Amino acid sequence: MIVKVADLKQYLYCPRIIYFTYVAPVEKKVTAKMAIGKEEHYATVRLEERRRLRAYGLSEGERHFNAYFYSERLRLEGVLDMYIVTPRGNFPVDFKNACRVALNHKYQLVAYALLLEDHFGRPVRGGFIYLIPRKQVHYLEITPEARLYTKKLIGAVRNLVAREHFPEVPRRSGRCADCEYRNYCGDVL
Amino acid sequence: MYFFTDEEKKHLLRYHLPRAREQGVAEELRGWNWHQPPLEPVYRDVVLALYEVANSYCPTGRDVYLRRVQQKRGRPNLAMIQGIIFHAVVADVIVAAKRAIYSEGVANYRAIVERIQNHPPIPLDEWAEQLSKDQLDDTLAKAEILATFEKTRVLARLQEILTKQPYIGEDSLVSLALPIVVEQKLDGSFLGLSPNLSTDAFVFWEPMVIDIKFDRQRDFHRLTTTGYALVMEALYEFPVNLGCIVYGEFRGDRLIVKKDIHIISDELRQWFIEARDEKARLVAEEIDPGKGECYEECPYFHICWGE
Ligand code: SF4
Repeated sequence: MIVKVADLKQYLYCPRIIYFTYVAPVEKKVTAKMAIGKEEHYATVRLEERRRLRAYGLSEGERHFNAYFYSERLRLEGVLDMYIVTPRGNFPVDFKNACRVALNHKYQLVAYALLLEDHFGRPVRGGFIYLIPRKQVHYLEITPEARLYTKKLIGAVRNLVAREHFPEVPRRSGRCADCEYRNYCGDVL
Repeated sequence: MYFFTDEEKKHLLRYHLPRAREQGVAEELRGWNWHQPPLEPVYRDVVLALYEVANSYCPTGRDVYLRRVQQKRGRPNLAMIQGIIFHAVVADVIVAAKRAIYSEGVANYRAIVERIQNHPPIPLDEWAEQLSKDQLDDTLAKAEILATFEKTRVLARLQEILTKQPYIGEDSLVSLALPIVVEQKLDGSFLGLSPNLSTDAFVFWEPMVIDIKFDRQRDFHRLTTTGYALVMEALYEFPVNLGCIVYGEFRGDRLIVKKDIHIISDELRQWFIEARDEKARLVAEEIDPGKGECYEECPYFHICWGE
């Protein structure tokens, strides 16, 4: 199974989403919130194309947008919002419609970094998360521990699908209120 | 054991400290957020010792199940007994040095030095019957090497401070020369851990938890410092970003000391919480996880595999 970077976010939010996506696919509703989010995302990409690199603390570099990457080694794929190629190295950039950097953002970024590394055959030391509402850039170092954890997550997603195991609800039950799959979770209604 | 060499200090100041401050930690993984998931304990009635969460010598966690659910007692192995003794030796020298400074006063520097140098070894009577004659001799010899090393380090530090500070008082001398609290008692109940935890050492100059191991380096050792860091954050509401495992190894009559300074990262915090929840579940639901690839010195080997 080829895991998508976005699956990691879903898995961390609630592993049942992975179950409903791959094991027992059901129809999900696209909420108005999601549609608006997508629109803002595209607008940011358009604006970003005209911006300078100063916000990233880089003096020179080439930006590339919406790039698809696939790693045979990790059997992982994803479309990266932006990456910057500089003489100092390559940096993935992920745009987020959020006011703070959450843990699931971090592991998506690490996954993109792993994809970039495999594609260019060069180590990636760090990457950026761009928080759209705040117009803020956050640098994150790609640490050995974060890499290991991300690989563990990729394995966990694959494992869940292979075992067709219906997972427990995560302990943050507040999350269920916003979930598109809520109707299918008999035990949390 | 606790004092850093110049190279270690350089590593700490140039590499670990700036990174620890820059990297930051996800807010939900700070100990002071113990009242909400993921830190909030799921099984409130289960209270685990920190070592039960952090030690992963048993690959399945069956040792915790046997101790907590089956109420079985293990047979401590040699490494465990020696570990307890060596910890006690190090703590004893530090406390004795502090006591000597306070009771003799800075003016009686020579008396302080003499008291530290002549401080007697700790008695091993309590453990003697659990050890064979050879094991006891080996333990005594190693304890002496350790005490001598520690006394020399303490005296060197005292001298260094005294040559620089002509007007120093006892309290300040203690805090500058020995800036650590040994066997600091902590209440881990916010995180579903025992209310009577004890860290090997805590340093104040940059909140850092230190743990000594007389074992080869293992990745789960960092869970111990991570657990204490979370507990300290829960209790005192300040960030604890760094941990250090001090590895002591005896080679002939020499002591080799290595330090693993590390950031208490998001990943270590998550690993600790996952281990806590998994083990608490075994206890709460009385689940026997079964045996894995066991190590023969396991204190429960005779129970799991028969005599
Ligand atoms: S004998 Fe094996 S299964 Fe039993 S407690 Fe020890 S390591 Fe675990």
